[in-house]
Amino acid sequence: MTPESTQHFDVIEDYNQRLTAVFRGAGAELVAPSIIQPAGLFLDVVGESLRGRTYVFTDPEGHELCLRPDLTVPVCRIYLDRDPTGRSAQRFCYSGPIFRYQPQDAPKANARETRQAGYEVFGVANRAEADVDVVATTVAALRHTGLSDFTLHMGDLGLLHAILDAQAMPARWRQRLAHQFWRPDAFHNELKRLVSWPAASAEGIDPALLAQLDPTKPDEAETHVADFLAHKSIDLFGTRELSEITAGLLDAAADTKSGPLPKARADLIESYVAIAGTPAQAIDTLEKLAAQHRCDISGAIAQYRARLALLGSAGVDLSAARFSGGFGRRFEYYTGFVFDLVSPVLGDKSPVAGGGRYDSLLAAVGGPADVPAVGASVYTERLRAALVGAAS
Amino acid sequence: MTDRLLLAVPSKGRLMDRCLETFAATGLTINKSASARDYRGTIAGRPEIEVHFVSSSEIADRLRRGVVHLGITGEDLMREATDDADARVRFLAKLGFGHADVVVAVPACWLDVRTLADLEPMAMRFRSRHGHRVRVATKYLNLTRHHFARAGVASYRIVESHGATEGTPASGLAELIVDITTTGETLRANGLKVLDDGVLLKSEANLIASNDARWTPSLDAAARDLALALARAMQSP
Repeated sequence: MTPESTQHFDVIEDYNQRLTAVFRGAGAELVAPSIIQPAGLFLDVVGESLRGRTYVFTDPEGHELCLRPDLTVPVCRIYLDRDPTGRSAQRFCYSGPIFRYQPQDAPKANARETRQAGYEVFGVANRAEADVDVVATTVAALRHTGLSDFTLHMGDLGLLHAILDAQAMPARWRQRLAHQFWRPDAFHNELKRLVSWPAASAEGIDPALLAQLDPTKPDEAETHVADFLAHKSIDLFGTRELSEITAGLLDAAADTKSGPLPKARADLIESYVAIAGTPAQAIDTLEKLAAQHRCDISGAIAQYRARLALLGSAGVDLSAARFSGGFGRRFEYYTGFVFDLVSPVLGDKSPVAGGGRYDSLLAAVGGPADVPAVGASVYTERLRAALVGAAS
Repeated sequence: MTDRLLLAVPSKGRLMDRCLETFAATGLTINKSASARDYRGTIAGRPEIEVHFVSSSEIADRLRRGVVHLGITGEDLMREATDDADARVRFLAKLGFGHADVVVAVPACWLDVRTLADLEPMAMRFRSRHGHRVRVATKYLNLTRHHFARAGVASYRIVESHGATEGTPASGLAELIVDITTTGETLRANGLKVLDDGVLLKSEANLIASNDARWTPSLDAAARDLALALARAMQSP
């Protein structure tokens, strides 16, 4: 057990003060989310993968709790406590420790307790403006601590969704691809399956039953499925209802009827994910690619360009900025613009700050509906390492 | 004092009996210490080995921590006890007993779910319909997480279950399970089916060596000797 939770605590705290001073200057209220959080909140939102890197424990009454592995989710809960309707525009900032389990053989630099200072903007309907507010404020906060040498890396899940939406394919395929984007291998496999053998999803279903199922007549299909179960003496039990089982079978039946995804479409998606360059170059490349594939994503491209122009006029240095299509496969709750601020001292595997847009998270943590939300965190120990490294 | 080779074996039940039988078959007789309070034992003619009788669930934990050099426990419990079993321990010999498959089982009425690949589309639909993630009852938290991640299954929640897991789908506590089975009889009796590719691990009792224990050349040789004797006994009928 290390005797100190944070080395150079005075320096780290000083940075946190400087960072939150800038966030407060931008109109944010300083809040202090609880360190101990209900584990279910995170497991529901982020998923079971989180259990492997979070300290989860049980209190004497049997409630599953955890040491907060992240601050964005608790700050969302604070926003909803203040405004359960989720309609007001509010800004919050915070600083404090987060806790992540590190396996025995993890690099020494990966501490299980690290500090973050962050800024979150809720309920601002003009998304491009809020995105730029978060980037510009985070950049200003870093500069206020003395860090001058860092570059902006970004991605945009909005573009991916636009590409999927603009292509003719069944909605369920689109939904699965968007859903699996976070897991590169599963995403690639799903794409491969759709191109080569979409009917694989119907493999093993009784062919006679499959032939009876007409996706345009779900009620009739439900009767067929019930008859089939009765005939085979299989009990219907459990939480999933007959209608859900039937819906799954109808999707499989539909997959046998829709031809495979044309390879050109899959190529466009893979090419988008592989795009990397300066923000201006990347969007030109994408625009050409889309035109070549007759894929109309002009709306998303216009939004991207508007954000880029706003970033420029907010004084964010774009000369060394980078965009990549596969960027941001980190937290599944991101829904749009995502970014990192990278110091050359630490490299792009250890960004000094990072964040993005997460419009669906508020509904997932108990809000009545989606709320436009975007935010960023500075990793304070890394900030110190970048400053010390730059000075030496 | 010379270092002794610490060997953890199951302290009760069928696993202990089979373990003692297996050793006896190689000509090694494990003697329990005379004092009933002392969960220690010795092997006749092998003074360098000290036997510790430990509850089988704890053996994997001791191996992971390097508190014992060797242990006999199921591969399932070992892989559950640590995410990186292959870096922390070595599986020296399969012992031919304690066979059990760790499987993913779902209600047989789920005609739309036959393979691991069918789980995620089902789970996505389930979540939008019921407002929460599909629940997987299991005591194998690590194995489930590991294998589900590899299969691209993400939209689920684990419900920890340490007994009568196969009954949880019927009682509404979970939708599906990850559990051990030997014949599949209990699963069938509970209306469950194993997914076509749902065998996550074919487990049996193993002689396992801890990488984190304090090893010396002589202890190393003693462990190799024991592994060899057991492996040889396994091969002869």
